[in-house]
Amino acid sequence: MNLPQTCRFTCFLLLISLTCTSLQAQEPQQKKEKAPLLSGVAVSADLVGFAMKAVGAKFANMEVAARIGFRDKYFPIAELGIGDCHREGGETGNTFSTTSPYMRFGMDYNFNRKHNGNRLFGMVRYGFSSFKYDIGNDSFSDPVYGTTGPLKLNGEKATGQWLEFGVGVETKLWSFIRLGWSMRYKFRLALKTPDEGKPYFIPGFGKNDSNGWGGTVNVIFDVGQSIIKKKQKKEDNK
Amino acid sequence: MRRKLLLIASSILLLAACESYDCTLYNHVGCYGAFDREGVAVQISDTLTITAGKNGPTLLNRSVGTASLNLPLSYWQDEDTLVFTIKGEDYLIQDTVWITKTNQVHYESPDCPTTLFHEIQNVRSTHTFIKSITVIRSSVNYELTTNLQIHLLSASN
Repeated sequence: MNLPQTCRFTCFLLLISLTCTSLQAQEPQQKKEKAPLLSGVAVSADLVGFAMKAVGAKFANMEVAARIGFRDKYFPIAELGIGDCHREGGETGNTFSTTSPYMRFGMDYNFNRKHNGNRLFGMVRYGFSSFKYDIGNDSFSDPVYGTTGPLKLNGEKATGQWLEFGVGVETKLWSFIRLGWSMRYKFRLALKTPDEGKPYFIPGFGKNDSNGWGGTVNVIFDVGQSIIKKKQKKEDNK
Repeated sequence: MRRKLLLIASSILLLAACESYDCTLYNHVGCYGAFDREGVAVQISDTLTITAGKNGPTLLNRSVGTASLNLPLSYWQDEDTLVFTIKGEDYLIQDTVWITKTNQVHYESPDCPTTLFHEIQNVRSTHTFIKSITVIRSSVNYELTTNLQIHLLSASN
């Protein structure tokens, strides 16, 4: 880990520790409540990826997710998305492009013991992507022998695996619609690439590096919440 | 507390906004050669010129006291022809070296220069002053180690 990466990681740890401290301070005021075993089923979409694509960013990870809540504390989650990157080097004329799927599996843990609709998560994810990418240069030239011609390597195959650790917050907006935010630190576990060239971007991970930051802003549809509430009401009436 | 959070958030944003290019600093790909005569390292005291073929680009121009070489190989040709010319006060001698190789694109990122690595398959030459050539390391890449050992004919020849 070089110096800027160490700084980033330190900031990340500080953020986690401060968040945990503020939670602990709130604990005495909270009442212990018991949430139902199945406390919600939700689907969500990350707005950041779609916004990045809309503004023409260098790359974007557009994803949707589905999760189940247990006791309003444990939330196993699956995230599926498409990583999109089209990039041309300003001085070199080199191009890189990929549009490939990725998936993540993991768990969110809700630190908030009060079941008031607000959640503060610690999260862990395992990410995987098997993807194809194109690299090229339309005016690639041999500086000594003087030959110029297009360089085109299409359909290069690679696979990447990584881990993510992060924190997130989530709140109820209206009825079953919620808004969530998360920040994640990613560690690349493995990357298999052909000899010709490494990918500039790993779908779901971001710019190809040993580690990096990521974030999401999620619109969440808590579709299971109303069903569970109805069931509870029926049981209460009986 | 708020100030701390603001400080942390702004430093994260600043760090996230930075982009670094991790290009290889020494990105010259060359075929390194060294001369010897009967196992003893020597230098060519007369003027040595190396061209790619008879009318190709000059790869080494009138070098004096040459003990080693760093020659660029062509990106796309399967075989490079190098003409070694030694010029003394009253003589001019030439040898031709053929290097058969494979070429492999080496792409790092859109922001870093792309180059080609090579794998030397075979080397042969004429024998005016070159006795033989041994391939010591067939991979031609960023490494600065000798690829070809060029054995010169003994002075009596």
